[in-house]
This record gives sequence, structure tokens and C-alpha cells, in this order.
Amino acid sequence: MEYTIQSIAPIFLAPVIAFIINAFFGRKLKSMSNWIAVAAIAFSFVYTLRIFTDFMGVFATDYYIHKTFTWFDLGPTFKLDLGVYLDNMAVIMLLMVTGVATLIHLFSTWYMKGDSREGRFFVFLPLFTSAMIGLVLSDNLLLLFVFWEIMGFCSYSLIGIYYEKEAAGNASLKAFMTTRIGDVIFLLGILALWHIVGSVTYVDIYGAIANGKFEGLTILGFSAAGFAAFTIFCGNIGKSAQFPIHVWLPDAMMGPTPGSALIHAATMVAAGVYLSLRIFPLLEMSGLLPFVAIIGGITAVGAATIALVQDDLKSVLAYSTISQLGYMVLGIGVGSYNAAFMHIITHAIFKACLFMCAGSIIHSIHEQFFNKLGGYKKKLPFTYIASLCCCLAIAGIPFFTGFVSKDRILGDALYNGFMSGNFGLVSIAALFGFIGAFLTPFYMFRWLFLIFHGTPKDQSLYDHCHKEHFSVGQNLPLLILSVFTLGLMFSGSPTGQGWLGHWFGGKTEWFKVLVDAPYSKNINKFTTYERQPLSFEDTREITTLEHAHYHHQSGYYGPNNENEHGIHSAHVWGAIMSIFIAFGGVFLAFLMYFRNSLNPSVFTNRFPRYYKVLQNKYSFDEFYIGVLVQKVLLGLNNVLAFFDMGVYDRIAIDGWAKVNKVIYKASNWFDSVIVDSVAVDGTATSVNVFNLILRIVQTGKIQMYFIVMLVTLVGYVMSLGL
Amino acid sequence: MSGLLNWILWVPVMGIVAILFVPKGKDQVIRYVALATTFITFVLTLVLYAGFDQTIPGMQPAFAVKIPWIPSFNINYALGVDGISLPMIILTGLLFFICILSSWTVTKSIKAYFALLLMLESTVFGVFFAMDFFLFYVYWEVMLLPMFFLIGIWGGENREYAAIKFFLYTFAGSILMLVGIIALYYATGKGPESFNILAHHGGKFVNETVTLFGSTYSFENLFFWFMFIGFAIKVPVFPFHTWLPHAHVQAPTAISVILAGVLLKMGTYGFLRIAFPIFPQAAVNYSEIIAWLGVISVLYGAFCAMAQTDVKKLVAYSSVSHMGFVMLGLSAMTVAGMNGAVLQMFNHGTSTAMMFLMIGVLYERSHHRWIVRPDGTKGYGGLYTHMPKYTTIFIIGMFASLGLPGLSGFISEALIFIGIFNKFTTITVIAVVGLLIGAAYLLWMFKRMFFGEAVPEVKTYADMNMREIGYMIPLCVCVIVFGVFPSPILNIMKTSVGALVELMAKFN
Repeated sequence: MEYTIQSIAPIFLAPVIAFIINAFFGRKLKSMSNWIAVAAIAFSFVYTLRIFTDFMGVFATDYYIHKTFTWFDLGPTFKLDLGVYLDNMAVIMLLMVTGVATLIHLFSTWYMKGDSREGRFFVFLPLFTSAMIGLVLSDNLLLLFVFWEIMGFCSYSLIGIYYEKEAAGNASLKAFMTTRIGDVIFLLGILALWHIVGSVTYVDIYGAIANGKFEGLTILGFSAAGFAAFTIFCGNIGKSAQFPIHVWLPDAMMGPTPGSALIHAATMVAAGVYLSLRIFPLLEMSGLLPFVAIIGGITAVGAATIALVQDDLKSVLAYSTISQLGYMVLGIGVGSYNAAFMHIITHAIFKACLFMCAGSIIHSIHEQFFNKLGGYKKKLPFTYIASLCCCLAIAGIPFFTGFVSKDRILGDALYNGFMSGNFGLVSIAALFGFIGAFLTPFYMFRWLFLIFHGTPKDQSLYDHCHKEHFSVGQNLPLLILSVFTLGLMFSGSPTGQGWLGHWFGGKTEWFKVLVDAPYSKNINKFTTYERQPLSFEDTREITTLEHAHYHHQSGYYGPNNENEHGIHSAHVWGAIMSIFIAFGGVFLAFLMYFRNSLNPSVFTNRFPRYYKVLQNKYSFDEFYIGVLVQKVLLGLNNVLAFFDMGVYDRIAIDGWAKVNKVIYKASNWFDSVIVDSVAVDGTATSVNVFNLILRIVQTGKIQMYFIVMLVTLVGYVMSLGL
Repeated sequence: MSGLLNWILWVPVMGIVAILFVPKGKDQVIRYVALATTFITFVLTLVLYAGFDQTIPGMQPAFAVKIPWIPSFNINYALGVDGISLPMIILTGLLFFICILSSWTVTKSIKAYFALLLMLESTVFGVFFAMDFFLFYVYWEVMLLPMFFLIGIWGGENREYAAIKFFLYTFAGSILMLVGIIALYYATGKGPESFNILAHHGGKFVNETVTLFGSTYSFENLFFWFMFIGFAIKVPVFPFHTWLPHAHVQAPTAISVILAGVLLKMGTYGFLRIAFPIFPQAAVNYSEIIAWLGVISVLYGAFCAMAQTDVKKLVAYSSVSHMGFVMLGLSAMTVAGMNGAVLQMFNHGTSTAMMFLMIGVLYERSHHRWIVRPDGTKGYGGLYTHMPKYTTIFIIGMFASLGLPGLSGFISEALIFIGIFNKFTTITVIAVVGLLIGAAYLLWMFKRMFFGEAVPEVKTYADMNMREIGYMIPLCVCVIVFGVFPSPILNIMKTSVGALVELMAKFN
């Protein structure tokens, strides 16, 4: 089917319309507005599914649709086109976003029922989703940035939705400001690309890279490519809560749990990684990948260690999100484009499901601390099944999605870090990745065991909890997502046979074929690309079907295609290692929290200092808020403000008045004593001329105003004459 | 059509006359006369927009007015409009109409109040229309009078100090400007075009010199700075900005709106109309200094704003910061930068007007403006819970002000940055910090005023009434619509701005 902007737009517009309806008429519609939102997102999902079917029909690695229109035009030298860029990656991303968002909306109808902020929640949820959809559809970085920021605003509103709480205000402020640090640096990257490429459209950027436009250019002494890549990657760091500005994400739990599900899984944080995938050729060319890898590695392992000691079930999930995002970034850093993207999708599914499980638990039990939970397997059977599937998936147990994606990231990390012969940052990152792979199953199964297994720690709470009966809103989304945690849905590893592809005519290896980095082999298609003269709707579309290639044997991924054999063996080793590591983590959790044969307090008692460090979350908050914000920033503000009014204005500006007064007095003295003593009376009155005017005008007689104006004007003209 | 500019200029004056004839005690009649006057004026500005030919780079010949005024000095009553002034004119028409509505609750000698407000409107139009230097200067100066009285009589506790400060500060700048005007008058040989602003355009004084105290200076460089300081005080650019917080804090709501929404733009308008096109070589030579002053304003204003505990003072400093972006755009002298600057002038006009109006609405209920009182207790808190409608509109204004994409401020700031990045990369890198701090002070203020527990008085505040919501809606529509579709405004200005950019490019 021939796609135009008009035929793609409904995906984006449906939730926008739901937002507008709910914003204006939400109060009248009451709970109807919830279902309007669900219906709108579901419509987007079905519509995306249809486009996805078409893409599966074409089934070519480098097929894409690019349609633009002119947003505004400032003459021959400057115009701004916006448009839609849909390639395989964007379509799969859209499918995930709309699909997961539909289920989250459905879950929210149950979770938010009767909540004081129900109406408000269903205003921002569709807006949030539409912003994410718009971000994925964008054909250029500036439009992406627009939606990126709108999402920031939505998360600000959702986190602060219980606005009567002081903590909600703090958390929303922190989330918005922290991500904005990344955002403004990202904006610099957009400007840099605009300056180098002359446009920020993906195809133009890829074309500029293929044509070597970056070579020899510098910005502020850095290589142009390095500057652009680094600044844009900072956007990723902020939005995806990477070290060192990950601090906002755990606080983002202040909002309702389904909102966290949307922020943590399908939309906001995934957007950061998605951005890095979009500019992957730039990252690769600039040589920034080792840096990307180490950021990802530090985040993956750092957040996982914090998750070990959390005693709040949502907090564990929040830190596990940070950690998993670290894996995605690590995947990008080691050139594992396909696997990093797959991890976005698989993580979105199991993390959305985990957060909804958390919502289900909190809403049923009204408690979220481990020391009150335990033994709820029987009370919440459906939630338990879903949680178990997700824990298996995130832990990287074979036959579940987490294994399929994470194992390949680790395989590439292993290859690039140790087996390619280059040791350096990437080696450390790879090591971190494997340590994290051990910690993840441990803290997730700790989470599972502490909630569902063992004996209830608060018996009266347990007795008050009703047994879960299947309900569409509460359980259906969980169970649907659980099905998609099975590795069989995706291809790309021996354990996944891509059942999803079976539905589209036996294309079991669909994920591997469809998602490939726009680099090396196929970036060359962009060399022939040239900007065309503009019409209202640009119908340019490049469908290089003859280039569509898929090597069944090699199945390349990673930048070093020539070393396919080495990569292959790295993947085998990586898979074996990660299976052992994952089971090791699960086993340790099993010993400590299921069998209770190993008491966790042995560790906390032996290493109290390290335990304290973890409990304090490495004291990032204390440093950022206590020192950087409160001491440095507010100190600077106060000093400047004091300087402005207390020093500069008082001395330099009002001081002039003093100087003038002295001069006036001197001249007055000169005038009165030397020249003419009669003049004294006249000048003395003019000392208080402004006071006099004001005193007169206070009478409120309009005639007086005109007299005053006239006097002033005449006096002024006379002074000119003199 | 040629009389339209006259009508826009003189309808407010007719309104003044009408108000003066209203008998004593009929306050409501005065309000409606003022409202009708500003409404008619606003409609006339829209008629002007409808008749505007977007393809003409210079003054619109269809609307030009030129009548000899003082023939012996070749002074004309010359009016004109082009793509740079039209957005400002529409903004002026809109804001004055809104200000009359927001001044409905003024009770202190309202006859004088509304008469002065209409006088202010007429003079503001005069500044934007005047194509004769003498006329421009007369309007520029006369405008100070209603401002002086409006702040000095209807202002806060310290109003007299603020009014005098405002007056003297601007007046000092005006005098420098006047010297420049007189110098131009002599430099052009006192000929028939010597007060014609447009006739001076195009770098005619590049090779002129002037002797001052025995040493010779380049005419262009010297008088560029005279003009520059005159306008920079109005903007206000960093070292000349200290009148602004005083004036804003003391001024009544409507006057703050006009001051921030329109009067500040007269400064940058002066650059676009006078300083840059008349002295292009100097403007190009000193563009880096202008950019540095701009970026200092951006950051200094933002940092100072963050330290404020008076919410109106905070927004006043935010104006310094946001007008700094306009200076950055001007210094870029590129298509994107200049268009961005003019668009920012318009967008800042709408968003900052929203902020000041909202603060005014709150002030009418609370009679104080402390975010944090001097004794350390919070001034508001919990407004979100108790004034939900107010909060919604406040959020729109605030996020427009901090440049959230999808709202108007973002496009102009993005254009300015795109325009300037290539030319002054270091300055751009510093300036984006302003975006960060800009979000910080506004959201921090919002957090302290709207979230959390309310102080007891807040619970008694009524939410916005229909009149208040009514006058906020046009501005809400402006910031949202022009955030999504900026083309209507950009299309007005782009030809005129393009011509200016071309002129500047010749001297680059």
C-alpha cells in the first residue's frame, strides 16, 4: 500500500484526540473518558499492526518510507521540513509502544478507578503515548526533540499528579530538571548537525556520513562528529537515566504505578536508547562507542547493586529499569545494534508487566514494603504467574525473551572486550555486563520470593487481602504480556524460533532481517540521496528492494563483519556463560529467600559499610541536591542577586543620583552665592520636583495631568534650546 | 486603506476624549468606553494584517502616510508598517485590550487610569509606526509620561522610587539617542530626507568621520553606540537592566503586562529599525559584543531570577533573560537568527503577559507576592489543590515561558540557536545553560507555590472567574497555536527580515 503522511497520521492523532476530549470534557464524561483513551490507543495499535503487516510483506532490511511537508519556510536559504520516517525499526518500535500502552491503559481503568486523580491521569496518559508515537514517527532530530520534551512534560505531570504531597512536587521537579540537563546538551548536538549537514533529517545525516561531510570539520576544537555524537548521546544519558544523571528515575515512582509502567517501560526511557540507535552511524564514526559502552556498563552494574538492598518493591523495579537500560546502552557501545534494539522491545514488555504486577499487588494489599509481604502466591495467582514469567525473562533464563536479547549483547561485549584482541574501556564494560547479569536474577528473584513465597510477615494484612478473581482490567494485560515474555516470539538465538514471524508467512528470523544498523554495507544507499526541491508534499521514497539482503549463514551483527567466525564463537561462549551466571543468581536468591538456608544478614553484618553505601544509593542525591544545587547553584544565585540589587544597582546606578546631587549642590552653591542669591529659591523647589508632581497628581484631577505633561514637555524643549 | 494607520494611532486618543466627557461617578461607563476603544483598535490591527502584502520587503506602500509637519526642519508626520513592526502592532492591540479587562478591578481614580492607559497605547503605536526620526523620538519620549504616572500613582508601596528610576533611566538613554538623531540630521546636510529613518538605511555613513574633543572617530562606530545604549536600556540588556525589577514590582498588573509585553520590544525594535540598518558596518563589527551582552543577560537574568522570593520580581528577571535571547538572535544576523529574534519578541510578549496577568490575578486575592516570606515561611503552597483552573492556565503560561516544544517559546529559541550556532559557537554553548536555569527557576517557583500543603489563607481564595478566564484564553490560544503553526507570524516577517539580513550580509 502507498503510504502518505495523511494515511500514517491517524496513529498519532487518535491519542491526541483522546487527550483533547479528556482535557476538555473529562469531567462530564467521567469514567467514559477512560475508555475513550483505551479505544484511541487500541486503534493506534491496530493501525500500526496493519502497517507492520505491510512491512513484513516487503521483508527487506533497508526498506523505508519517508514523507515530508514544509513546516515553515523563511525564504530560499532556510526552511524547515517535518515528516514521517518509517523504517523497520520504527515500525517494530511503534508496535511495541502502542501495544504495551494499550495494555497499560486497560490496566489503568482498573487501577485508577475511584482514585481522586482518575480524570487527570487519563488526560496525560494518551498525551504521553501520542508524544512517544510522534517521536518514533519523526523523520528528523528536531521533531524528535519536540516530542522528547513533551514527554518530559507529561512525565512531570504524571509524577506530580498527587500534588498535595510535597514529595510529589520534589520528584516531578527533579525528574524534569535532571532530564533537561541532557536535553539542552542534546539540543547543542542538533545545532551542530544542522551546521554540518544543513538539515537534521535522518536520511540527510546518514547521507552526510556516507559522503564524508564530517571529515576535517571541528567544533570548539573537537572533531565535528565527536562533538555531535557526544552531545546527542548526552540526551540519551538524561532520558534513559544513565550514570551519572540516573537519579530522577527512582523518584519518578511518586506517580500512580501504571504511569510508572509507561514511563519506565514503553515510552520515555526507551526513547533515549532509541535516539542512540537512530544516530548509531554517527556514534560509530566518531569513535565514541567505547565511551557509550562504559556508561552502559557502569549503569548496568551500579543500579543492579542498589537494587539488591531496596526494601520497597517498586524501588527494586525502578533500579532494575536503570540497570536494564544500561544493558541497552552497553549493547549500543559494543555495536550490538540489533540486540540492543531487541532489548528495548523485550524489556518494555517484561518491565511493563512487572510494574503492572506491582500495581496489582499494591492495589490489592495496600502495602509495598517487603517486611510486610510474603506468601501472596495463593492470594494473587494470576499476578504471580505473570511476575514469574517476567522474572524469568529479566533474569535471562533460556526460552525467555530477556535471554534472547541480553545474551547477544553480552556475546558482543565478550567479543569486543576480550576476544577481539583490544583491551580497554570495552573490556571493563563487558566485565560489568557479566557482573550485572549475575546480580539481575538475584535481585529479581529476591523480589519474587519476598512477595509471593514464604510465610506472610503481616498476618492481618494477609487475611484482609481478597483472593484474586480474574478481571479484564487487572489480569488480562498481565497475562497477555506474559505470553510475550517467551523467547519463542523472537528470533536471533538458538532458543528463539520467532513464532511471531510464523503468523506472517513463516518468516521466523524476522527480527534479525528487519533490524539492521544503517551503517557499512547499507549506508551507501544514502550516497545517492540528495535533497530535492520542495513542494507541499514531498513524495520521495526510496525502496531499494534489490539491495534487500539477508545472509542465512552469516547473520551478521556487530560492526566487525569480517570476523564472523570470532563473533560466532563469542556468542556461543557468551550464551553458555550467561546461562550459568543467570542460574547462579537465581540459585543464590533461592537459597537466601526461598529455602532460607543462607541468611542475608550474614552479608549485611560482615560488610556493614558497603551495605550502607548501597542503601544510600552511593549518595548521588546527597551530592547533587545537597551540594551542587543547594550550595553551589543557590549560592551563586544569591550572590548574583545580591550583587545586582544590593551592589550594582545601589552603588553604580543610585550612586549616580548621589553624584548628581553633589554636583547639583555645588552648582547651586555657586549659583546662589556667586551668581545670584535670588536664584536660590527657584532651584530649591526643583530639588523635589518629582515629589511635587506626584503630590499634585495624587489629587486625581485629569486637568492636572495635562498641565504636568505640558510643563514637562515645555521644560524639556527649553532644555533642548539651552 | 491609507488612513488605517492614522485610525489605529488616533482611535485611542478619541477614546481618551470620550472618557474625559463621561460624567463623574459613572465608572462602569469609563471601563466600557476604554474596552470598546481598545477592542476597535485591536480589530483595526487585524484589518491591517488582512490587508498586509507579505511579499513586499520594505514599507507597505498601501498604508504609508506622509504629511509635512514642521517643513522648515523637514520634519514629516510619516507613518509606515512593514513585516518587522506588524507582529508588534498586533501584539500591542491584543495586549491593551486584555489589559483593560484585567484592570476592571482598579478603583483608584479610574478616569485618569484609563485615559493614561489609552494614551500609552497611542504612543506605543506611534513608536512602531513612525518613519520620521523626530516623530519617533516624540512618541518615544511622550510614552514615558503615562508610564511614569501609571507606575507612580497606581503602583505598590515603593512606586515613586520605581517611577523616577524608570523615567530617568530611559531618559538617559533617550538623550544619547537624541544626540544620534541630531548627528544624523547634520550628517545628511539637513536635507529634505534628513529626518527620514528609511532614507538613512543601507550603510550610508560608513566612511564618515566625526571629530570629538580633538580626536577623530568613525561616525558609524560612535553613533552606533549612542543608539545602542539608548535602545539597550529599553530592552534591557545586562548592565542597563536594574530599572526593570523595580518598575515591575511596583507597577500595577496591567502596566507590568504592557511593560514586559510591548515596551521592552521597542528596544529590540529600535535595533532592527534604526541601529542595525543605519549603521550596518558597526553592527557587524560589534556583533560579538552584542552576543556576549545577550548571553550575559540570559544567564545573569536567569540566575538572579532563581534567587528571588517575590514572584513578580522573578518574572521580571526572567524578562531580562528572555530578551537576552532576542539579542543573541539579532547578533547572529542570519535568516534563522533574525527571524527567531522577531518571533521571540512576539512570543515573549504573549507568554510573559500571561505570567504577569496570572500573578496579578493571584495578587488580587492574596495581596502579597511572596514565594517565601522574609521570615522563611512559605507564602502560598497548595494552589494546585485550591485553584485548579488557575493552575491549568498558569502551567500553560509557565511552560510557554520556559520554551517547552509545542508551545510558542520553543520555536523562536530554536531558530535563534540555529541562527547563532555557526557564528558564535562558544556563546551558544553557554547560552543553552540559560534554557536549563530558565526551567529551573520557573519550576522551582511552581513547586513552592502550587504543590504541597496550603497555607491557611490559600484555602479562602476563589478560583478564576469568567472575566479572568476570558482574557487569558486569547493568550493561551496564541501560545499553543503559534507553537504548533508558527507560519502565520513568520510569513508576515520573513520578507522584511530577509531584506535586513541581506543588507547586513553586505557588510559582513
